[in-house]
Amino acid sequence: MDDSTFQFGTLSVVALLLLFYGGTFYISTRIGKREENADDYMTAGNNVGFGISAASMTATWIWASSMYASATSGYTYGISGPIHYGLWGALMILFIYPFGKRIRAVAPRAHTLAEVMRARHGRSSQLMLAGSNVVGSVISLMSNFIAGGVLISMLSPFTFIQGVLMVASGVLLYTLWSGFRASVLTDFVQVVAMLGAVAVLVPVIFFAAGFPAAFETGAIHVTAQQESFFSSDAFMNQGAPYIAAVLAYAIGNQTIAQRLFAVREDLIRPTFITATVGYGAMVIGVGMLGVLALYLGITPEGGEVNNLVPQMASEYLPPVLIAVFFIMIIGALSSTADSDLSALSSIAMADIYGQNVAGKDAANPKVMLLVGRATMVLASAVAVAFASLQLNILDLLVFVGALWGALVFPVIASFYWNKVTNRAFTTAVIAALALFLPVRFELIPMTGLLAIAIDLIAVVGVGVVLGLMSFGFFGLRVARVVGLLASLAAAPFAIGALHEYATLSASLVAYAVSTVVCWAMSVGNSEPFDFALIRRRTGDFDETPAEATPTPVGAALSRDDRDDLDPTTAGSLR
Amino acid sequence: MSTTVLTIYVLMWPVLVAAVLFVISRAFFGEWRSARRRGEDLV
Repeated sequence: MDDSTFQFGTLSVVALLLLFYGGTFYISTRIGKREENADDYMTAGNNVGFGISAASMTATWIWASSMYASATSGYTYGISGPIHYGLWGALMILFIYPFGKRIRAVAPRAHTLAEVMRARHGRSSQLMLAGSNVVGSVISLMSNFIAGGVLISMLSPFTFIQGVLMVASGVLLYTLWSGFRASVLTDFVQVVAMLGAVAVLVPVIFFAAGFPAAFETGAIHVTAQQESFFSSDAFMNQGAPYIAAVLAYAIGNQTIAQRLFAVREDLIRPTFITATVGYGAMVIGVGMLGVLALYLGITPEGGEVNNLVPQMASEYLPPVLIAVFFIMIIGALSSTADSDLSALSSIAMADIYGQNVAGKDAANPKVMLLVGRATMVLASAVAVAFASLQLNILDLLVFVGALWGALVFPVIASFYWNKVTNRAFTTAVIAALALFLPVRFELIPMTGLLAIAIDLIAVVGVGVVLGLMSFGFFGLRVARVVGLLASLAAAPFAIGALHEYATLSASLVAYAVSTVVCWAMSVGNSEPFDFALIRRRTGDFDETPAEATPTPVGAALSRDDRDDLDPTTAGSLR
Repeated sequence: MSTTVLTIYVLMWPVLVAAVLFVISRAFFGEWRSARRRGEDLV
């Protein structure tokens, strides 16, 4: 940033960080227990209420990058840009909630999705989910630390590394002792800071920058595509790849699964619906700053589009509101970082120690807690080291995203269809990855018949994505019709053209291949799985009663006796 | 695109955000009061 950028003094920024992290630490001490229960450390007793769950789901789904990326999308693609970032991301929260209800009905006391996959299939499927989440969460942790370091170095005299260390220490401080319980409780404060800031900052910047008049004076900076609500550029380059990517993210990511296992079972739907609206409005709202920057003809400082949001804040806000903006970004990145720490600790506790080292029955809850806390410290150290080195990890992120995309159909099918086998699951994921990589990275020339073949597979992928979205709400029959119609509708436009959009094409190929292979290898299975086994194979590791937190009778009933889907009578996908 | 439509389009999101904030906050403080009455932790 240049010299015109607003700068806090050293004392001011220290005071703001102390206020934020001191406050969240104080909140976490209010729920701290001398003897923490290992299961509560991972899922908060599976009994979290609507207010905290909705706040936590919203806060976790929003990270600093999502605000910057939405504004970038608005700046690049114009008025429809933020919609093609925020709306699809929001709708994915909505689309996965029926699957969430099913997962909770089948495995009401689980801690991680990988743990459930082991109960359903065995070790290889568990390791795929757990491994991808370890890599994904470390990358996410690193990205959030980097965002914090950049923000602090931009708006204060502190260096990038000092900023990274401040954020990492602050997040670890309040998350370490109480784990997921601290994460969800502090999420409420963080979401209040984020939503409150957006509700105030966007209108203030809007009027301070000379809008609505600037819509007329700035029209010369905007192309016809950028001025359209129905920009094909925005859909093909931003919206469509994002739809495919976030469905995978929502299904595969442990930070979401962890909240799914934590919320009281009868509150899953209102929680997910509220988080859908909250995430969408917040991220699209911040994205509007990119649209305003476009109309104003602002050039991102240093050519870096991620500077747009801080640049707008610095240019048009008074110091006190820049402090609010600072807290908003710190809140966004901290809420996601503490969720990543909780996710990593749960995977280490339940999937690595609990099931693969000690064994479900022999696992010592005290050792589990030690493993969880040590994992948080180690993960923070690794993320700080990677952030300091500023490694280019984009390819790794793409690979994790592809792995989650390849996992979507096998994971969902495993909860509904009793014929899916471990071999089908594993082979489908590996086959999908094998085809994804050359398409995504254009390792083979996409010309002639090969390009047409890839387009045909991607068209099947379109049907799979829309079919899966429909399946959760309307069942198999509607899903088949929607999937078929979607493929037929997409075919005339996609065949011969879709391979030119490598990101979108590769994601769709991963969906298609994993679906076809998983179905083909499972359909002939004559030994159907008994879903009731999952409930028996997953559950509490720590039998000691939680300190001063008796489970209300109604909540206990809602967990065990009011399942809206009886796993033993679940419909077959055939 | 008319200026009025664009203005509404930009400013509707902060309004929606404020509405969600209200819903979440009301639920949170309700749960907090309820937990205190029962003598339990909130989470």
